[in-house]
Amino acid sequence: MKARYQEAALSMRKNEVWRNVNFEAFLKEELSLPDQAMPRRYDYQCNIPNLEAYRVAFVNGYATMPTFATEAGVTCCSINEARRNHADLLRQLAAQVDTDGNPYLALNADAATDGLFLYVPDGVRLQRPVQLLSVANADTALMLHLRHVVALGRGSALTLIQCDDSHTDLAGFSNNVTLVSMDEESHLEHYKMQNLNDSTALLNQTFVTMRQGAELRSVGVTLNGGSIRNHNVVTMLGEHCNTEVHGLYLIDREQRCDNYVYVDHACPNCNSRELYKGILDDAAHGSFNGHVLVREGAVKTEAYQSNKNLLLTDKAFVQTKPFLEIYNDDVKCSHGSTIGQLDEQALFYIQQRGISLRNARTLLMYAFCDEVLQSIGIAALRERLADMVKKRLHGELTACSECALSCANTCGCTPPDFNIDPTKL
Amino acid sequence: MSLLSIRNLHASIGDKEILKGVNLEINAGEVHSIMGPNGNGKSTLAGVVAGNAKYTVTQGEIIYKGRNILDMPVDQRACEGIFLGFQYPVEIPGVSITNFMRTAVNEQRKYRGLDPLSAKDFMALMEEKKKVVEMTSNLANRSVNEGFSGGEKKKNEIFQMAMLNPTLAILDETDSGLDIDALRIVATGVNKLRSADNAIVVITHYQRLLDYIVPDFVHVLYEGRIVETGPKELALKLEKEGYEWLKEAQQ
Repeated sequence: MKARYQEAALSMRKNEVWRNVNFEAFLKEELSLPDQAMPRRYDYQCNIPNLEAYRVAFVNGYATMPTFATEAGVTCCSINEARRNHADLLRQLAAQVDTDGNPYLALNADAATDGLFLYVPDGVRLQRPVQLLSVANADTALMLHLRHVVALGRGSALTLIQCDDSHTDLAGFSNNVTLVSMDEESHLEHYKMQNLNDSTALLNQTFVTMRQGAELRSVGVTLNGGSIRNHNVVTMLGEHCNTEVHGLYLIDREQRCDNYVYVDHACPNCNSRELYKGILDDAAHGSFNGHVLVREGAVKTEAYQSNKNLLLTDKAFVQTKPFLEIYNDDVKCSHGSTIGQLDEQALFYIQQRGISLRNARTLLMYAFCDEVLQSIGIAALRERLADMVKKRLHGELTACSECALSCANTCGCTPPDFNIDPTKL
Repeated sequence: MSLLSIRNLHASIGDKEILKGVNLEINAGEVHSIMGPNGNGKSTLAGVVAGNAKYTVTQGEIIYKGRNILDMPVDQRACEGIFLGFQYPVEIPGVSITNFMRTAVNEQRKYRGLDPLSAKDFMALMEEKKKVVEMTSNLANRSVNEGFSGGEKKKNEIFQMAMLNPTLAILDETDSGLDIDALRIVATGVNKLRSADNAIVVITHYQRLLDYIVPDFVHVLYEGRIVETGPKELALKLEKEGYEWLKEAQQ
């Protein structure tokens, strides 16, 4: 398997879309494919306070539960079970999703051990979010391949929270594919949270195909990981679709995070909006590659791309490439990217109130992240992620009470002196 | 001993010298107004006293509470009681005024060897100080200056001044961008904060503000130097006659 990845990486070295991605260093000797007989320990540490969700965990490549209780006619099971019990439906829904045929997709198809099959029938609006957890928690280093198929029927609604976590310090390598089919007027909120150890690489591919009037909001938050590639492909095949793809990446040391967003405006009257923000410290390396294609005839398209980066050191590096390809008049499109440092005058303002430089920097970094966090629609998830971002930003700081951000005390360190929410007093 | 004593202060941005020998003595309990044409160094003087690294001090000294503060970092000067009300307050999205002030108040308390305020005491302090500038709870829960109107930003500056209770407050064009009602609220707020133990420096272009905040001294900063100092009536004369007579006198 490792040899096949090396071969694929070699073949894509000159490919515009994949050239930035570099995970060969993570194809470690000790990695092996998982065995279904391995114990699957998982104790739901990734819970979100005040959020009631259907939790689905994939540990060491396999579902921890064969079936899941859900609402009104929703099919939610492991892909292995779906192959046995819903083979036709699975095949039909998966075929509706357009992919870009990259070689890693085929590698995933060959090696996938399991995945989630989730089908929300016409008109069903799932009240609770589905939280999809993928974790490695074994005594040996694993190469994991999951393939999820998610389908939304006409007029249905779903919130999907996808979390990738490491539970050990062992090396890891994951290539996960999520195929999403959205029928007419369906609504998907897709949140992705990534918190992996420094010796893990994650290739996270999401393909979404939308029919008329469908609405997608995707927000990815990358908090930690050795090398993470977020590969997003969205195809809008009907009119009046609305797509938001947002991302936040906070990386340091020698970490890498590459973000690719391809949005295909195949029909008139569709909107897309991309907002990616990154903070890069130490010798971290990031990239944003956004490609919007507005096809001939796709009039009244609105497409916006924005990528903003803060580089905290001279060694941190980011490549940004917003790109619009338009074969039409009568469209509104814009793109922009910035790479900069923290604003000196804003730092001066905060310090002038007696706040230390360190806390002033942390406050401004958090302020920078806020725009992306605000696009998270579920309050409980937004607060949880805001908290994790705060913890990430105060980094090595052991005493929370020294920090300006007053996050909730979930990290087990000294609780902050203050945790004021005036609305709760 | 003066609270603040500025002696022969020269400061520049890059190669450009802005302050060319400013001398100023300020005692506790006094209100000083600094006036003068645009681009003659008023904001630079405020920034240099607060410690803005944008400016380089090339000569002279700033003695505050008996100590030369030129090498003191910005946050330490603030903790020593120097407050600058900004002409253009900075927006900090995602950080509520409450959390911002909580951090500032407690860092200043820590500097003075005091324990942090409890949540209850802090909220009580907020409530009390919000009244100084008639600030609504709604505003206090919003992110610092984000989407604020000009008036709201200036109210927020004076609210922060009230929270931090500085010994020396320098208010840089706090009246700019204010309508008449907001001007009255902000100026009344400043007056409530006047005491025998603190000093206030008001930088302004207009006599109107000084109708509310009556100064003990009016200084004119022209071409990087204080060229005229007088009682409050000097502001009236400037309002009526402009700066031409001063410029001529200089030549």
